[in-house]
Amino acid sequence: MHIFILRRLLQLIPVLFGVTLVAFLIIQLVPGDVAQVMAGEAASEAQLEQMRENLGLNDPLVVQYGRFLGDLIMFDLGESVRTGQPVMDIIAPRFIITVELALWGMVVAVSVGLFFGILSATYRNTIRDYGTMTLAVVGLSMPNFWLGLLLIYWFSIQLGVLPTSGWGTWQQVIMPAITMGTAGAAVIARMTRSSMLEVIDQDYVRTARAKGVSERFVVYKHAFRNALIPVVTVIGLQFGYFLSGAVLTENVFAINGLGRLVVDAISQRDFPVVQGAVIVLAITFVFVNFLVDIAYRVLNKRIDLN
Amino acid sequence: MASNEQTPVLEVKGLQTSFFTPDGEVKAVDGVDFSVNSNETLGIVGESGSGKSITSLSVMRLIQHPGKIVGGTIELSGEDLLKKSKQQFAKYRGNRLSMIFQEPMTSLNPVFTVGSQIAEAVRIHKKLDKKAAWQEAVNMLKLVGIPAPEDRAKRYPHELSGGMRQRVMIAIALSCDPELLIADEPTTALDVTIQAQILELIKELQEKSGMAVLMITHDLGVIAETADKVVVMYAGEVVEQADVKTLFKRPLHPYTQGLMNAIPRHDIDLDELEMIPGTVPTPQNMPSGCRFAERCPYARELCVEKHPELATPSNNVDEGITTGQTRCWIYTDEWDGPNPTKGVATNQ
Repeated sequence: MHIFILRRLLQLIPVLFGVTLVAFLIIQLVPGDVAQVMAGEAASEAQLEQMRENLGLNDPLVVQYGRFLGDLIMFDLGESVRTGQPVMDIIAPRFIITVELALWGMVVAVSVGLFFGILSATYRNTIRDYGTMTLAVVGLSMPNFWLGLLLIYWFSIQLGVLPTSGWGTWQQVIMPAITMGTAGAAVIARMTRSSMLEVIDQDYVRTARAKGVSERFVVYKHAFRNALIPVVTVIGLQFGYFLSGAVLTENVFAINGLGRLVVDAISQRDFPVVQGAVIVLAITFVFVNFLVDIAYRVLNKRIDLN
Repeated sequence: MASNEQTPVLEVKGLQTSFFTPDGEVKAVDGVDFSVNSNETLGIVGESGSGKSITSLSVMRLIQHPGKIVGGTIELSGEDLLKKSKQQFAKYRGNRLSMIFQEPMTSLNPVFTVGSQIAEAVRIHKKLDKKAAWQEAVNMLKLVGIPAPEDRAKRYPHELSGGMRQRVMIAIALSCDPELLIADEPTTALDVTIQAQILELIKELQEKSGMAVLMITHDLGVIAETADKVVVMYAGEVVEQADVKTLFKRPLHPYTQGLMNAIPRHDIDLDELEMIPGTVPTPQNMPSGCRFAERCPYARELCVEKHPELATPSNNVDEGITTGQTRCWIYTDEWDGPNPTKGVATNQ
């Protein structure tokens, strides 16, 4: 197991190189003169030259990338072009908020998704199954910003029980978490259902019944443990989507997360901030996948360590 | 064989199991009777689709929707199992009667160690604590002849071979000393050498515990090796029933004779393997007369028109020969003329 984890960690290195390379090239690939784009139309030639010097754009690409990586290892993502603050300092608090939001979204998605998925599978082809799966299609199809607006309308405006915006108190968490989690819950419910149905007819489930295991344990122990294996992958992927999809939810509920920061930075052409945010998100995504791999290994004994 | 006074461990009477499909009721098992005594092995033999597996699953009450037991009684030492509630029966399943299956490769749960899968049955029925149950699991592995049982108990199913896994299945099935063991094609998926070992093991364990064994197979070789009594099934019903020696000496039903002829023999030089032409009729278009008639070389109008009953032969049997029961018109008084099967498939 330790060797397995170590091996997976080593495999992350090329992936991280790729990620940083792409993020690095963001600045290089901006159409036209990067300095011009950042500094704006009215900048003088001297200002542009200054900008290029600051960003190190006059050096060869390889040198720039090397310097970029060196800074990255020191957790230095450069400075914001607008405010001159270190990008790391700007991103960190925002990133924590987005991760919190994504985690709460996951809590909703996983608990609701697993519950309805198992329910649907154990009552297959009954009214409960059809009802649940219809709800899942609705949840999957509804754009989450629209769901957010509906929630605000019902709970904040009509009933007046929850705050419309902000982040911090538990009341402020509820609606964004539901907004984030609904589509994920639908995906997880559908995956859990089909995975359970595949497993429930397996020979080993029949063996469990033949041993005299109660139906509840047959479902939750013998079938579910096996059905969970593909579901874990979906859950991991969902978390990645949540991080990147947080932009919409953050905007609807005026939450100052990373998504909003990126959107603002793009409109202000603050490329170091955009670059920094992309790197942080990408590394998080890679790391979550790594955790999913390990969870997968723990659940599925058949995966060969080598 | 066994004395008639003793209560059979398992007595099945008029068992009917049907599947309710969108196309209507499919009668997979249609009025099957048999009984097994303790320390006795009953072989149920038949082709795919004859209803033998459904019969065994019915005894375990493991028939899943849309299947349903629609008639008959199943008595375990005199208690009617079909009258038990689900909860009551769960206490018997895996305890007083247990089952091993055809597919050892897929019959064990891949995410639990084999030891814990044996211990689970022990914990449910014997109410032992975790540690004692584990010890019992190790003992069972030893009993079924698995070397280094302490170590093997901690392994996952995929780390064991097919033969080993079938031994584990047997360990699970026997962990609570059942009165009845149902073995549904226990050796079909295994190598020939392993097959013999597994059959030998079942026999050995039966001698120790005195349990009754229901051996479901399509392989007459397995029957010859293990069974005391044999039931031959065809298209959901019993067509012949006899003790094993009688059956092999003088198979009565043309279907049984066909099965015997279909055994590949290495003592006779044959260009082609013998086979029974045709297939088992589908339950949707079950013949109203004898169900074997359309594949039977001796079928007459009588056979096509009227359904024969399972009975002791009253006609066309040589003097002084003991026979079992069969469901064939040839052996009834309604059959005109000599026995056309005479001299066919009388194995020595």
